[in-house]
Amino acid sequence: METSLFHAAVQGLLNLMQLKVFLAMLVGVSIGTFTAVAPQGLGMPLVYAILLPVVIKWEPLTGIALLIGASSVSAICAAYLPILFGIPGGSGSQATVLDGYPMGKRGEARRALGASFMAGGMGCVIGTLTLLAAIPLARPLIYLMGSPELFVVMLWGLSMVAVLAGRRPIKGLIATAFGLLIAMVGQQAQSGVMRFVFDQPYLLDGFAISIIALALFGIPSALDLALTKLGVEQQPAPLKGSLLDGARDTLREWWLVVRCSFVGVWVGIVPGLGSQVVDWLAYGHAAQSCKGAKESFGKGDVRGVIAPESANDAKDGGDLITTLLLGFPQGVVTALFIVALLAWGFLPGPEMIKKNADLIYSIVWIQGIAGITGTLVGFVLAKELARLAQVRYSFMVPVLFIFILLGAFSVNRDPVDLLVVVTFGILGYFMKRSGYPRPAMILGLVLGDLMEKYLYRSMASYGFSWLTRPGVIVLLILTTVSFVFTLRGRLERKTEAEALSGRAMARADDR
Amino acid sequence: MTANLTLFFVVVFLVATWMGWEWPFIAKMMPVYVAAIPGVLLAVVQLYRDITDWDKRRGKKGGGTEMDEVFMTGLDRRTERQRTIVFFAWFISGALAIWLLGIVIALPLLALLYALVEGRERWTVSLVMAAGTFLLIWGLFEYLLEMRWPPGALFR
Repeated sequence: METSLFHAAVQGLLNLMQLKVFLAMLVGVSIGTFTAVAPQGLGMPLVYAILLPVVIKWEPLTGIALLIGASSVSAICAAYLPILFGIPGGSGSQATVLDGYPMGKRGEARRALGASFMAGGMGCVIGTLTLLAAIPLARPLIYLMGSPELFVVMLWGLSMVAVLAGRRPIKGLIATAFGLLIAMVGQQAQSGVMRFVFDQPYLLDGFAISIIALALFGIPSALDLALTKLGVEQQPAPLKGSLLDGARDTLREWWLVVRCSFVGVWVGIVPGLGSQVVDWLAYGHAAQSCKGAKESFGKGDVRGVIAPESANDAKDGGDLITTLLLGFPQGVVTALFIVALLAWGFLPGPEMIKKNADLIYSIVWIQGIAGITGTLVGFVLAKELARLAQVRYSFMVPVLFIFILLGAFSVNRDPVDLLVVVTFGILGYFMKRSGYPRPAMILGLVLGDLMEKYLYRSMASYGFSWLTRPGVIVLLILTTVSFVFTLRGRLERKTEAEALSGRAMARADDR
Repeated sequence: MTANLTLFFVVVFLVATWMGWEWPFIAKMMPVYVAAIPGVLLAVVQLYRDITDWDKRRGKKGGGTEMDEVFMTGLDRRTERQRTIVFFAWFISGALAIWLLGIVIALPLLALLYALVEGRERWTVSLVMAAGTFLLIWGLFEYLLEMRWPPGALFR
């Protein structure tokens, strides 16, 4: 590690030695744990959307500690719902249901939970270490990037997000384009032109991203709870067995944890892949590579819990690699994190590495420390957390209403914000119902402004000749190749992982 | 429903293209050339697929996994519609109440009534929820953080 980076790493750690920063991280860990355990529908995008209007008024490090503290543990305790209720938890823990629930039903819920905490903690540490190693390795490359290259990187990421929008690539692209369009509302800084303002003063500065994210994710989440009436119409599996047995299982399968953690990191780095995919890929890998998996997976094999949980937690480290080093978000959570960084005056990517390397390292340290804290919380408070998973919808829905309305109204204290949250909430409901991916829209919304800025700078500095820069040509070729290959691969075959998990799912259904 | 939403996107992209056409190049580069025009083309293709039930006719879906949560409640259509309407009625009433009564009164009232009427919780539980909401909004924001909430339209 270079000396300057070493100093930045030490300074990043020293930055955390403030009581308020540490407390903020602990509050974040508590929020993340509650979110992971609380009934179906709550997720990190919603939590970020709720927290954003509040934390951007704080000083940066305290706000960062809260946000990263919450997101880094959200996956560690996400296995409660799959194991106890047999329903997919937050994204990233959906594959856990295949083996976790059969274990819960046969009286091994605590063993499955112990395995998921341990695997999650180990995955988080591996992801953080990879992130730590990536900073000095990537720095020389990142320094070569100017506005034209960064514009193409974002275009690349956006095209992959849209293509990888699962089974609905066209809908993914439409949602992305719609997000880009919404990002363009307001007065353009460069030309002064009023775009889509309709003579409304409210629209002069454009829409607040935090309000749209709250609406798009919050309202459908609350509706899910109100529809399924969770906690009233569904009963959990008994909390029996031993947590330590699960921890021992995970330590015995350490090599599986390492492999799946790297699957998670890889998913985190590749633009467009995300928590909806990571658990299935890791599960598919385990189903392919573990001895006797073909017979035992889907029937309550602890390795079917370890694999997705370790990958899911390691993914956060991978996510932060591209988010912090390139300024490109990998999903809604990192997109909203970028919104917070921009509000504090930091521009993630090369500029942040040059000017705020210590802050980047603070983020890395918070990620690692919060992950370990979350694992300990999972082990110590397993019984209490299991009770949280049974909170009734009649409590959760009004709580969500309150946070959504409060979050939206607190941004400007303007009643028009309430109209915006209702409108985009209804749009979010229809998008979810019609299979239009909301994350694609949020990414378009967040990246729209940044992309326009980079494109403007490129045009202003080089005219159209920026297209002939070697870095741009290489990145454009990579963009085209990956776009075409991903589309072709997607059209030709279902992934092996899905086929394998499909078989396991069928077995789980049979039982 | 899918076709309706796609039609909405077609209209939005068309209007955006029409509105942005006269802007200077630097202002219309992103909204018109990057977002709206490709958006119209894609939305028209998707509209054709929705109207002709393309996916079902082809008998299969493409590979890959879902990027977003899939809407699946396992409820019959009537119950689902009824619960959805009730949910949005509560939410919109909450937003209207904030405008009319102010947030300090509206949100505790919303918590109380939702728990009591929709959740069928006991009076004591509902009152505790309302009190907790009041403490959060008034105690934390207004008293501790000194963040003044505007009064409702009825009290101005």
